[in-house]
This record gives sequence, C-alpha cells and structure tokens, in this order.
Amino acid sequence: MRKVKVHKLFRKTRFFFFALFGLIVLSVSLLSIVTVSRELSDEYESNSRAIAENIANSSVDILLNRNLATLQSLIDQFVEVQSIRYIYITSDTGEYLAHTFVPGIPDAILASDPFSTETVQRSLPGLGDFVEVGSPILSGAAGTVHVGMDLELLGLKIQRAIGQQLALLGIIFVIGSLLTFWFVNMAARPLADLLVFAAKVAGGARPGEDEPIAMRDDEAGELARLFLHVARRGGGGSRE
Amino acid sequence: MTGTLSRRALVRSGLASLVAAPWAGRWGSVAVPGRGGGWGAQDEPIVLGTSAAFSGPSRALGTELYRGAWAFFSHLNENGGVNGRPIALRLYDDGYQPDPCVENTIRLIRDPAVFLLFGYVGTPTVTRVLPLLKKFRDERVYLFFPFTGAEPQREPPYGEFAFNLRASYRQETAGLVDNLVRIGRRRIAVFYQNDAYGRSGWAGVREALARHGATIVGEATYTRGTQFGASMRRQVEILGARQPDAVICIGAYAACAAFARDAVDLGLHIPVANVSFVGSENLLGLLQKGREDPNSHTRFLVNSQVVPSYEDTSLAGVREYHELMAVHNPSPPEDVERISPGEPYEPLAQSFVSLEGFLNARLIAEIIRRMGDAPSRSRLEEAVFAVRDYDLGIGERVSFGPDRRQGMQRVHYTVVEGDRFVPLRDWGQRFG
Repeated sequence: MRKVKVHKLFRKTRFFFFALFGLIVLSVSLLSIVTVSRELSDEYESNSRAIAENIANSSVDILLNRNLATLQSLIDQFVEVQSIRYIYITSDTGEYLAHTFVPGIPDAILASDPFSTETVQRSLPGLGDFVEVGSPILSGAAGTVHVGMDLELLGLKIQRAIGQQLALLGIIFVIGSLLTFWFVNMAARPLADLLVFAAKVAGGARPGEDEPIAMRDDEAGELARLFLHVARRGGGGSRE
Repeated sequence: MTGTLSRRALVRSGLASLVAAPWAGRWGSVAVPGRGGGWGAQDEPIVLGTSAAFSGPSRALGTELYRGAWAFFSHLNENGGVNGRPIALRLYDDGYQPDPCVENTIRLIRDPAVFLLFGYVGTPTVTRVLPLLKKFRDERVYLFFPFTGAEPQREPPYGEFAFNLRASYRQETAGLVDNLVRIGRRRIAVFYQNDAYGRSGWAGVREALARHGATIVGEATYTRGTQFGASMRRQVEILGARQPDAVICIGAYAACAAFARDAVDLGLHIPVANVSFVGSENLLGLLQKGREDPNSHTRFLVNSQVVPSYEDTSLAGVREYHELMAVHNPSPPEDVERISPGEPYEPLAQSFVSLEGFLNARLIAEIIRRMGDAPSRSRLEEAVFAVRDYDLGIGERVSFGPDRRQGMQRVHYTVVEGDRFVPLRDWGQRFG
C-alpha cells in the first residue's frame, strides 16, 4: 500500500501542543526564577543574620574582657564560611574593634551608621556588591556585629539553581514535543491508510475485505468497510 | 600503665635531631606516664611536643626558635640530660596556619609520650589551640613559652593553661608608643596582619595611645602569608593620607619588609616600628639584599625585642648562647613533614628568635630539673611557680607565681647599623 502523510489535519493539533508545552515551560520557568531567587535571597539573609547573632552571642564575654585578639580569631573563623565576605564589630561608641578588611576599612563603611542592624545592600569599590546584616551585642550595649555576604556569589547560586530547573524543563519540553509528534503521527496513520484505500476504491479498484485497513476494529476500519459497501452498491447492485 | 612507641614512629614525628645523643640506642621505646607517679621510665627521653612554622613565609621564625632551643638541648643531652634523662622534641609543621596547628596539637595531646607543649609560634595558631587545652584540662597539658606576646594565653579564661617567658605585645607596643610620644611623634598609625596577632598589637597601640590622650590616626592591613614580592602601595597610600608621625607594624618579616620598602619608595620617611615577632634578621635580609645602598630602606626602622641584643656578649647568657650555637649549629629540622615545601632554609648564625628559643629551652630544662627523678604533669605548675628570681644570664631575673604567668617583663629597642640590629640608646637623636 502506498504511504500517504497526513499533514494539514494535525498541523493545528501539533501547533497547539507545542504552544501549550511552551507556555507551561515558560510560566514554570518564570515562577521558578521568582521563587528560587526570593527563597535563596531570604535564606542568604537569614543565614547571615544567624551568623551575626551567633557572633554577637559568642563575643559578649570576649568583649567584656577586652580580649580583641580572641574576638578577631572568632570572626576570622566565620569569614572562612563560603559567601561571607566581611565581618566587622563596632563598639558601643562606634569604634571599629575588629574587622576582616584588607587593605583597610572601606570609606563607605566608615561613613555608615555603626549601630545599624538593618539589612542593607552595599556596593564597595574594588570589593563588589554585598548584602549586610547587623546584630546587636547585649542589645547594643556592648556593640554591634555586621556581616557582609557576597551578592555576586548569591547571584551565581541563583543562576545555578535556576539553570538546573530550566535544563530539566527544557529536557521535559523536548521529550514531550517528540512524544506528541510521535503520538499524532501514530494517530494519523490509519487515516492515511484509509485515504489510500478510499482513493483506490474511488479509482475503480475493488479491494477485498481482507485489506488491513478494512480489518481494523476501530473507526478507520468501519469507514473502510463502509466505503467498500458503498462502492459495491454503486457498482450495479448485481449482488442484490 | 606503661606502653611503647616504635622507633619508626618516633623518627617520623621528628625525634631525629637527637642523633648525636648518647641515648640514641634507647629510642626503641618511649614510656608513658604513670610509673612511680612520674612521667615515663627513668632512662627514657622526656618528650616535648611542638607545632610551629617550619614552612611558608614565616618558616624562619619556627626554624630559628627551634635551632636556638636545640642548641641548648643538644648541650644538655650531651652532658647527662635532666636528672639523667635526655630531652627530645616531637615536631610538627603548621605553616603558621591555625587549622594545621589545631590538628597537630590534638595529635600531641593524644600522644602518650608527650610531656608538655613547648615552643609554639604565632598568635593566630596559639589562640586557636588554647580552647583545646581547656578541653583536655584533666590531662593537665600545659603550653610553655609560645613565641607570641598576645594576651589570650596570659589572661582568663585560658591563661591558666600556658606559661610565657617573653614580654607581651601590650608591653612592646606600650614601650614603642611611649618612646615615640616622648620625642613628639603622637600621630601614630598601625600597619597590621589582619588576624588575632595583628589585632593583639593593634589593641596594644590603641591602649597605649589612650593613656596619652591620643588615638590611632590610621590603619592598614595585609593578609597573613603575604610575601615580600607583594606590593604594599595601597597600604602606604592609606596610611600616608593620614599624615602619621610614625607607623607601628604588627606583622611577619616578609610583609613588614615589603611595607618598609614601599613606604621609603613612596616617600613616607617616618619611623617604622616592628615588634619582636617580626623576625628582625630576616626582615633586614630582605630589605638589604641586592641593594646598592644597603641602608637605603632601613634607616627608619626601630624594632622592639623581648630578649637583649645577641651582640651584647657582656651578658653570660648571651655568651653561652654564642658558644652553644657555634658548637652545635643545629640544622633546620629535617624529618618534619612540611605543609608547603619550599626552597631550603638558610639558617642564621645568631638571631633574636634563636636566642629566645635558647632561653626558653634553658628555663624549661630548669623547671623539669626541679621536679627531680619523677617529673609529672600534676607537679608542673608547682615547679614553675617555684621559679623566683632565676638568673638566665641576660640581666633580667625570671619569676613566676599564681598571678604571674609571664617570666620576663623587659622590652629592648633596636635600630639598624650596618648589617645588624643594635640597641637604640637615644630615641631623640635617632628620630627626634
């Protein structure tokens, strides 16, 4: 039997499926960008705050003993944690008691409020962009701890997380599209066979009922048998 | 309880420097504490555990401190040891980095042969080890004579686990500040290593200036491990902008030499002071090597020292140091597994650091001697407190007590003349 491809009838179906998949992928991607970005940022800030509070709690005795070497040692350990880029501790009078800046405390920080515990975003020339959180020591009576987290690293983390999600969605999109294409083609094949069969009947041929298409037990098979029946009736009714 | 360690294990961990000792054949076993209430068997070495910088940019400090100590221990061991027992050192390299130092210390504390910890180098390392000593307080592990003048091992809550011989950074920086202020140099800036050591010195300068009603006029930092080749231009610019009368450096020799070089090159011609930890001879070597005028970058240097000048042979202790360093001339430790292997180290004939190591060794040997035939950790503190007005032959008597865990108090000041540091007699004439 000659192969015939059914294009026109399923073009819209395919387009619809592609569009639907695309829309799903796009909306899920947008949602994931917003969600991942917000959640990672929140987590970042909350981690920074936890670290700042931890240092604030650990440094009370150290500060009261005026043991600044131990205080420096303490913040040096924390700054080794990935994504923490700087820590500084100010006294109750606003003096910078310990910090991790090299080659010196940036002017932007020297100009800022040393008692503030608000979350702020900072751009420090030569160092990068940071989100800074603060935590008071003994409710601010002993000083304030400030922790700066690298926004560039946060951005990279967000990009990596979103990239992984988009890659997964992309794979699902490609596999879904291929499967759709394959299913539509499979659904169209009996119709193509029926078309060939109908053309054969219309051309005067008298195929038997043992043709594969006429033996199917679905709608295509019924239509084929109907075509055959009509053709036989139209052929003179000699059989009647 | 008695146990043994194999010869191989001992040699691997750094006992090989005792090769010349008459006890070499007895190293097959090292007894552990307990016999007769003393430490180890009567014929076994008394093992002191050390973690110090034997590699990296500060390796000269660990190596020279060891060499000075080993010159004395070699002499001691050749002459019968302490109460008939030789002193052995178990050495580990920490590269002047806190984490390896903590790991080494745990190994040393858990090593049943190690009697006490001795001759550690550096503030960032020692401050991280102190909580370990508290953790293992039941073991009564004491840290003796670390090469750092920081406060944490002199004060609660960790002071009770350490004994110091040298003066503190607080005393060194106070002396520097007092002398600079006395000659009219009140605007003092600080260049420091950005860690516990630097902060300790920074705090000392701040405190001393406060007594004169002044504050630190500017500060700049560098990262631990910075090499001499690094540029300190930014640090010089930051401090220069505050127009200081003097800069006090709290750092190691490589970075401080780089700063002194760049300060002169950029026209910051003011006194640049360093504290004892810097390693004066190594600093000088870097600043003078290959220069047409070797003193071009050293005229403004003034270094505080916690031991007298090794040139002062009028002192009996210094003469003995010269003699034993010449006789034994200890090599850098060979069997220590180094963290960052580099070029071979060229030892110095004499140095302030090795003199300090020598004095540390003399005193620890005396303390162990005072415990008699059965030295034990439980009697160590008592033996240290019994040291009163002990003469190390350097013009300052050493005393300890429950409220005095630092043996010496004196600070000496030195400047460069020719190719060496010599005592500074007149601040006004030199820097006024």
